[in-house]
Amino acid sequence: MRRYEAIREVMKVVTDQPLVCNIGHPSQELFQLADRPQNFYMLGSMGLASSIAHGLALSQPRKVVVIDGDAAVTMNLGGFATIGHTRPRNLVQIVIDNSANGSTGFQPSFTADRLRINAVGRAAGIDHVEVVTDVAAIAPTVSAALASEEGPHLIVIRTETGMPEGVKVIPLGPIEIKERFMRSIGQ
Amino acid sequence: MTPTDRLYDTLKSAGLDFYVSVPCKLLGDLIDRLAEDKSIVYTPVSREEEGLGLACGAHLAGRRPAIVMQNSGFGNSVNAVLSLLNYYKVPVVFVVSHRGSPGEPIEAQRMMGGAIADLLRVTEVACVEVPGQSELEHVLPAIALARREGRSIALLLPFSYWAAQ
Repeated sequence: MRRYEAIREVMKVVTDQPLVCNIGHPSQELFQLADRPQNFYMLGSMGLASSIAHGLALSQPRKVVVIDGDAAVTMNLGGFATIGHTRPRNLVQIVIDNSANGSTGFQPSFTADRLRINAVGRAAGIDHVEVVTDVAAIAPTVSAALASEEGPHLIVIRTETGMPEGVKVIPLGPIEIKERFMRSIGQ
Repeated sequence: MTPTDRLYDTLKSAGLDFYVSVPCKLLGDLIDRLAEDKSIVYTPVSREEEGLGLACGAHLAGRRPAIVMQNSGFGNSVNAVLSLLNYYKVPVVFVVSHRGSPGEPIEAQRMMGGAIADLLRVTEVACVEVPGQSELEHVLPAIALARREGRSIALLLPFSYWAAQ
């Protein structure tokens, strides 16, 4: 399974929840697979996807989904400490772990060696941590987290490195992304 | 009123309702007040850049976010200020203790202390210097203007602000 398939499975069960997506290829793949106004695509500030979703989760009651990457979240491991401190019940943090910095040329990331994002999350105080390696398990796992009264949830999806041909740069500017996102959640 | 009381009242009057903080001795009493305030959302964060991510999320949900931090933390924030806050027009209020200003006991603080005004200028973050309580009167209109422009703003609070009771 590659990230593209993983995102496709995630989006089978995401309905109207606000969603923050990591910069670069993940956002481009998400745009192609399932563009919707509730998607906040990051165009900069690599590493902050989970923090933006965390701020959203603390600010309103809806479930918030974030699609982050292993290398991006490694830039912001301190973010786990804060999530473990506030423990927002409405945050579903998905980290797609392809063991690479894909958008910059597929350099290996630290999870290709010994880093385990699920262990970091658990050590930071996140109680609901799942690791998914089977494509068929993604939709049920994400669906259960979205339906759960408890949280936060951290779901690490292990994938192969790489992406399909023909995925394009997102044709939306930052203000368009923000304004349609805010309208979609009633702001 | 203490410097902390006046600052707290000003921030509340500005309608700021979501706060993140990174510790500073000068801001300690303010941070304690925020942590006790049940009418706002408050959390400490691990570092400033992370805090700006949370502030952005709060803005997207219709809140008015602020980050409480030392000026040295602005160095940890520059990419997020430019490629997140400025690019998406996310107005955040930075409540900044100006370490390295006159009265600073720690020599190393002078390095970022001397650079902060220029850093704010090049990153197009508005700046209000607040050397004493009387200058707080400029803060509310400055925050309102910055919000209308979708721009972030820093309140720079040097040692002199905290010295006067």
